[in-house]
Amino acid sequence: MGCVTSTSISPNSAAPVVSRPNVVAVGTIVWLGSEVMFFAGLFAIYFTLRSTSPGLWGAETEKLNVSWALGNTIILVLSSVTCQFGVFAAERLQGRKTGGAFNLAKWGMAEWFLLSYALGAIFVCGQIVEYANLVHDGVAISSNAYGSAFYLTTGFHAMHVTGGLIAFLLTIGRAFAVKKFGHKEATTAIVVSYYWHFVDVVWIGLFLVIYILK
Amino acid sequence: MRANSILFWILAVFFALSAAGYTFWAWIYYDGKIEWVGTVALILSAILGVFLAFFLGRTAKGFGGVLPEDRLDANIDDGDPEIGHFSPWSWWPFFLGGAVGIMALGLAVGVWIAFIGVPILLVALVGWVYEYYRGYFAR
Repeated sequence: MGCVTSTSISPNSAAPVVSRPNVVAVGTIVWLGSEVMFFAGLFAIYFTLRSTSPGLWGAETEKLNVSWALGNTIILVLSSVTCQFGVFAAERLQGRKTGGAFNLAKWGMAEWFLLSYALGAIFVCGQIVEYANLVHDGVAISSNAYGSAFYLTTGFHAMHVTGGLIAFLLTIGRAFAVKKFGHKEATTAIVVSYYWHFVDVVWIGLFLVIYILK
Repeated sequence: MRANSILFWILAVFFALSAAGYTFWAWIYYDGKIEWVGTVALILSAILGVFLAFFLGRTAKGFGGVLPEDRLDANIDDGDPEIGHFSPWSWWPFFLGGAVGIMALGLAVGVWIAFIGVPILLVALVGWVYEYYRGYFAR
């Protein structure tokens, strides 16, 4: 019988039962790892073009409105904070508010995510205003290497933020659609927050490279 | 899970050392210029390793215990727990993929086709996300 490889009939209690890590959370993190490498490509484009045409960079970065972008950055970082409060609410399985509209301690996941959505939407609108001003100053995606690098990096980031906004809406919708807010809905909220924090950190990197380092 | 975390820490250290070595080598080869593509790619590969190693390490600490697949004395059926809700079958991913296909076709051939794809995409996305929130299998 030494060569038989079928599973044993008698239950073996050698391995204690453990609550496994959430497969959705682990999978989301692995996917975000691939997103790190996607943005690595964009950063590589930016740095390479910057090193090949330093004169162009010197002239074009003068046109950037750094204080406007700083305000936008602060709004995006704040949205990450409110998003995390939404996760805390989801972890105590509270989908919606139990108190008044302005009683922050009683807010549920839906209210915090709605606030994060509003802040994220302000960020995207701020980006659009900035793009409009830059195009007015002659920096367009097809005008030169700087324009291409600038709009590709910030544009792909803005598309990620927009995707996050849609994810926020779908997550809030689940909190309203479900009969009883459970661990599945909490998992949705947690992985959306992972994505949102990731996009936030990428923006901090982009802000430091594009607006501070120039 | 601890072993997975350690493996990614090793990868992170390897990529960090590679980034330093590559940058220095290119710096000598190109007379004091940095070759940005490889440098950025290797540094962010190191960050990728740190990112996964940190998360897996934290998760391993968080649930406290050893997974059956990490034990030499575990049986196959020890690793057969409840791991979440999976749809047994669904038509929505098919429609979602079709809608994205129509949108991509629109971008390639004529933008007007994409305007047909977008509404289908919205319907398919909402249908997929809320499939188990309405109807017979609503939770």
